[in-house]
Amino acid sequence: MNAYMMVIAVLLPMFGGVLIPVLPFRKKNITALYIELLVLITSALTFGLVLNPPAEAFVLFRFTGQLSISLKLDAAGSIFAVILAFLWPFATLYSFEYMKHEGRERVFFMFYVLTYGVTLGIAMAEDIVTMYFFYEMLTMVTLPLVLHTLTREAVLASRTYLYYSLGGAAFAFIGMIFILVYGSTSNFTPGGVLDAAALGDKADLLLFVYVLCFCGFSVKAAMCPFCAWLPKAGVAPTPVTALLHAVAVVKAGAFATMRITYFSFGTEFLRGTWAQNLVMALTIFTILYGCSRALKETHFKRRLAWSTVSNLSYILFGIVLMTPLGLAGAFSHMLCHALMKICSFFCAGAVIYKTGRIYIHQLDGLGRKMPKVFVIFTIASMALMGVPGLCGFVSKWNLAKGAVAGGNPLAYAGLGAILISALLTAIYMLTIVVRAFFPGKDFDYGTLGDVEDPNWMMMLPLCVFVIAMFVIGLHPQFLTEAVRRAAEAVFTLI
Amino acid sequence: MNWIGEGLGLLLPVLLSGGAGIWLVCSSFLEHIRVREKGTEEEKHVPGTGNKELHFLVGAVLVVSVFLAFAAVWPGAGERGLTLFYLMDDIPVYFRVDALGRLFTWITSVIWLAAGFYAFLYMEHEGEEKRFFGFYLLVYAVLLALYFAGNLITFYFFYELMTLTAMPLVLHSGSKEAIMAALKYLFYSMCGAYCALFAIYFLFRYCDTLTFTAGGTLNSAMAAGNSGILLLAVFLMLIGFGAKAGMFPLHSWLTAAHPAAPAPASAVLSAVIVKGGVLALIRTVYYIVGPDFIRGTWVQTAWMCLTLLTVFMGSMLAYREKLFKKRLAYSTVSQVSYILFGLSLLTPTGMTGALLHVIFHAGVKCALFLTAGIFIFRTGKTSADEYKGIGRKMPVVLWCYTFASLALIGIPPFNGFISKWYLAQGALQSGTGIFRMLGPVVLLLSALLTAGYLLPVTIKGFLPGEEPAQTEESEIPELPGGTETPLRTAPAHKSGKGAGKPDMMSAALLVLTVLTILTGLWPNPLIQYAAKIAAAVM
Amino acid sequence: MAFVQNFPFISILLSLFAGPVSSVLNGKAAKRLNLFVIAVIGAMSAAVLIFVLGTGQEYIYTMGHFPAPWGNEIRVGVLEAAMALFFCIIMLLCVTGGALERELEIEKTKQNLYYIMVNLLLCSLLALIYTNDLFTAYVFVEINTISACGLIMIRQTGRTFEAAVRYMIMSLLGSGLLLLGICFLYSLTGHLLMSNIREQTALLQTSGEYHIPLLVAICLMSVGIAIKSALYPFHTWLPDAYGYSTLSSAAILSSLVSKGYIFLLAKIFYRVIGFDIIRESKVINVLFVFGVAGMIMGSVNAIKENDINRMIAYSSVAQIGYIYMGFGLGTASGMIASIYHIVSHAATKSLLFVAASGLTDASAKSKNFFDLTGAGYRNKLAGAAFTVGSLSMVGFPMFSGFISKLLFAQAAMGNRHKIMITMIALAVSVILNAVYFMKTVIRIYTPEKKTVVIDKGFQEISFWEQPAKSIALACFIVLNVFLGLFSEPVIGLIEQGLEMF
Repeated sequence: MNAYMMVIAVLLPMFGGVLIPVLPFRKKNITALYIELLVLITSALTFGLVLNPPAEAFVLFRFTGQLSISLKLDAAGSIFAVILAFLWPFATLYSFEYMKHEGRERVFFMFYVLTYGVTLGIAMAEDIVTMYFFYEMLTMVTLPLVLHTLTREAVLASRTYLYYSLGGAAFAFIGMIFILVYGSTSNFTPGGVLDAAALGDKADLLLFVYVLCFCGFSVKAAMCPFCAWLPKAGVAPTPVTALLHAVAVVKAGAFATMRITYFSFGTEFLRGTWAQNLVMALTIFTILYGCSRALKETHFKRRLAWSTVSNLSYILFGIVLMTPLGLAGAFSHMLCHALMKICSFFCAGAVIYKTGRIYIHQLDGLGRKMPKVFVIFTIASMALMGVPGLCGFVSKWNLAKGAVAGGNPLAYAGLGAILISALLTAIYMLTIVVRAFFPGKDFDYGTLGDVEDPNWMMMLPLCVFVIAMFVIGLHPQFLTEAVRRAAEAVFTLI
Repeated sequence: MNWIGEGLGLLLPVLLSGGAGIWLVCSSFLEHIRVREKGTEEEKHVPGTGNKELHFLVGAVLVVSVFLAFAAVWPGAGERGLTLFYLMDDIPVYFRVDALGRLFTWITSVIWLAAGFYAFLYMEHEGEEKRFFGFYLLVYAVLLALYFAGNLITFYFFYELMTLTAMPLVLHSGSKEAIMAALKYLFYSMCGAYCALFAIYFLFRYCDTLTFTAGGTLNSAMAAGNSGILLLAVFLMLIGFGAKAGMFPLHSWLTAAHPAAPAPASAVLSAVIVKGGVLALIRTVYYIVGPDFIRGTWVQTAWMCLTLLTVFMGSMLAYREKLFKKRLAYSTVSQVSYILFGLSLLTPTGMTGALLHVIFHAGVKCALFLTAGIFIFRTGKTSADEYKGIGRKMPVVLWCYTFASLALIGIPPFNGFISKWYLAQGALQSGTGIFRMLGPVVLLLSALLTAGYLLPVTIKGFLPGEEPAQTEESEIPELPGGTETPLRTAPAHKSGKGAGKPDMMSAALLVLTVLTILTGLWPNPLIQYAAKIAAAVM
Repeated sequence: MAFVQNFPFISILLSLFAGPVSSVLNGKAAKRLNLFVIAVIGAMSAAVLIFVLGTGQEYIYTMGHFPAPWGNEIRVGVLEAAMALFFCIIMLLCVTGGALERELEIEKTKQNLYYIMVNLLLCSLLALIYTNDLFTAYVFVEINTISACGLIMIRQTGRTFEAAVRYMIMSLLGSGLLLLGICFLYSLTGHLLMSNIREQTALLQTSGEYHIPLLVAICLMSVGIAIKSALYPFHTWLPDAYGYSTLSSAAILSSLVSKGYIFLLAKIFYRVIGFDIIRESKVINVLFVFGVAGMIMGSVNAIKENDINRMIAYSSVAQIGYIYMGFGLGTASGMIASIYHIVSHAATKSLLFVAASGLTDASAKSKNFFDLTGAGYRNKLAGAAFTVGSLSMVGFPMFSGFISKLLFAQAAMGNRHKIMITMIALAVSVILNAVYFMKTVIRIYTPEKKTVVIDKGFQEISFWEQPAKSIALACFIVLNVFLGLFSEPVIGLIEQGLEMF
């Protein structure tokens, strides 16, 4: 495909999104149709691009001589782009129904669609400057979404979100500058752009910068100790928590750390250094910390958010293994976790939408009232736990392959942490399931009132996600093949 | 064509039983929803109660599946294997029957039939029969698949499924305690499964293949420099799969979950599902890692310590326990660790003993739990001390119980003696230092304790002493400790049938007891079969 | 000699004489005259800029054709012309934007006084930019101080008097030190013309004579100008002076006055002393430390503020810290970054002041932070402008602040001892900026309860209600985005200008 298509894919949702509040349509349905079409066209374009990636880059804009906003789609970016392009239309569909009870839909959808373009920008960024640019923009366009309910809680959450994100970007910025100055080019190049010989005695400094930069980008990926914003941001409407804070935004953080690790600093330079061990230790700690907090949490969405914290660090862990297998594991968990987590969040959203219940102890017995939602939630839980046959097992398997192959004792510990975390996941997810289906012998179903499963706009995405989970879980070859190819592309093209 | 036929043979029992199970579970679930929609009037009618058609259906499916399963594992059948699909890059979900799988299929099928027919009557007072039988069939299907599994990944796949599908059996009654017990069961099992998964990840890396091969597939060249982490992984796996088999330190779920389940469920849980853990250990230790890798290492020592500790601890706790079903559950903890001890010896004799004990313990423990079920069903009493004089009301049941107890204690000519003999022989022959002696001593001690906790029921049942009249009442007795623990408050069956009359429950019990006695009297074919398996892997 | 070359001189004279003329006009006429003068000077500066770019060579304009050392010289290069043009634009927008406040806050009879001050201020700024004579610079520094005091004081409330007096004292202290420094230099070199002094200092440097007196002179001048431009910890006069004066004063003071001094300092470093000598003198290290401290402490103080104007004023302290930090890096790229930041900060800070006034207008003139709740909805343009300004301040790509942050960071790479300090200071400062600016942005976009809006008499303000301010805001936004997106020509100008220095 032509390189112009990339620009269209990125800019179409942006401009189309900005138009939403000023559209002349009176009827909600037509607006909804417009939005859905916009998203679908973008997704179609993205899929087209992924299947026929344009060979050359496209320079959108130049800040100064070497600093430009340019787009190029490579294998790693394709994976992220596919995740986005697959999930966004369904999430939008879900949002139409969900946002009915939140209000201010046009503003919401404006930013929701805008975010799509910006995240695609991250996926297609050709160089570190472009990525940084879209990364900062992502903070800004998602801020109004967190703020959407405009309650005191939302204001506080959005502040926290903002401080963390901007702070992270400020540290990531340091890394960017170092790459600009010491790198042979600012473009993402497999194997990194640092010339080891030219560094001389600055190697330690650069490692320090790498740690700063890694921490900076992984703020969005909610790595401990920068994870506090994510559960707080759960006050946002569910489509936001589901798509953005479980997939797009947080995965953008993980994706960015992947980019700097493999494409800017380079694994040759980093592997086996104290910097690698330090960040790996951080991710391992986060894996455990996130789960433990999820276990303690009684708020439905916040529990899922803490679970996201832990799962994101699986991805980061895979990334910092710095081996092709580890990277493949990270990619596959990126994809699988996206499916599982968006699905469980949408279930939580359906419950909130239908019943307004937000705490876990309020969910007793709802399994009979909303059977479809809770069956799907059960499947998503099992996938998260890593039950074989569902996609969670596949991605854990791929991660484990990476961890075992390296021969790094810390990686073994990380594998142990992942399994402990899986156990904790089982505990905090299945207690919800058991509550919903087995509320106890004397439970009075009358107290639940007239609750039922939501309509097709909410159910369709859920069903699609469940099917996808099974398909990946039972036939993971195409996935493992794709991530393997993407990961190896990073290593062989040096 | 032959290939297709063989494949179908393996798939059919699984699909039939599993399909019927899923259908029953779904329809029970849907009925609940429908009842809700219709309103409160019909809510009184608990769906799926007293359903003759259901019994017929379940019975038919069970018999046909068992028949199909036997056909599938008929010597010579199913050995070529069947690849269902590829779960991972190069790891297929792969079915293949070997001698070990055949043995487990036989045991399970027999137990399942007996407990299933027993449950038709028993479950009437528990309710929710449709759901119960749905999961009952489903678990059977999963177990068959587990036995057919031809590689470790397939095995793990169905192992997890077994954990999940068996959970509804535990929380069947829906009481708070049952739910807590079920969750405990689930989380312990998960913990175990993840420990094992940790090892599987390493084994995948360091083994030539994960297809089960007698003697192990560990690539010694690759493992050479990494034996430290590999041993750790194998140890974790022992602990992990040991959880299912009730081995210390992850044993405490067993004594919570088994008593909480309805009697037929406890019977199959104790008799068969714990053996899932045993099978997992045999498969991994003897068919993947290989006994040579472990022999003489700290892992073997630690394993033996753990098993012996569990044997002794289980018996001790059973001896102290008053609640009948819980006592039996502790007994399971102890007895399954006999098996694990036999395995941990890593000698052919020890393994033969272990396999024999798998067979015998399955039958015996199932019989014991069924007895307990009948006692509870008829009298509503749950404490072992309260069955005074019960032998007069139900002599057949109590005799069955007595024979089973004697078998479990290991008194010749009952079958328990034979397996324990082989276990002790195995211990003495093994070059394991102090354990050569310590093992048999602990086994003997535990046998004494077993006698101590099983036989008093027989004695009090037949020789009630001075006040037999009290237990004659068939009404629900007012139990002094009723509020303490809800396990005591199991309701007695209120149908007018008199106790002691022959019915489906006693028949199932009788069949098992007869099998126990027969295998005790003519054990040779079984011994040879087990010895053949053991010889193949050493 | 081309006619264009006379423009700098003419523009200084024009603004100088516009002042006295204003004194006899009434307020309205004075305002028109003032706007006209600024516009004309802007146009002339643009012409000069084009001319200089065309020749690619700086030129020296001797007033009255008296050669040095008797005559007074003006030296025009690309940077000077560009700065003059830029200052005119900013001043024009500030004066336009603050028109409404001036009418309300300044006595009718004193309206024209204000424009005298603005004209004089412009005159002194131009002189500071163009002059090639150190003593002339000093004279205009004083004129600058006095007119700035007038600008602060003219809104006659108690706080402004106090602020003006404080400003006066600090400023005079600063100019006193500057004068002392000039005296030292004069006695060392015997010259007052910058280029002559430069030759002499170079000789002194090679001979190694008078090392310490030269150092003292540098210190005196640096500290003097630092005080005047409110480098931390000499910033105490600033929040009151900016926070309480009338809008256009605050905007002009924060964006131009201190920048004029800083530009003078850059000139002293480059053209009077010579940058090599400065670098060796270690004075820049001191500036660096104070600059970094200012970056952090200014923001910390701003976080504590509840008055929006004072908050923005404190932010100026932090931004001036950036500029001095750039000086302190002691590299040419550091200098470029600092000068770019002068531009970027001028554009942003005046935007913020004007936008803040738009927001306070919609909140019944209350500057209290909490009263601004929902102000972004009541005055949409001001809200948007404030958001743009805030984003620029936190270094969001697309806006001018990002480019200066980028330039600072790149410049830091040239100095290996200061890399990490600079980097981390930048990062921390960005976070702190985010804390108070974005907090305000979120606050102005959090809707206020209807009852509160009615109780407090908040009202909506549309675009055309305050056309002057709205146009100014729109222009500021455009300027900011322009500086953020098309920074390359600007940086090119600065580079070229520094080469001609």
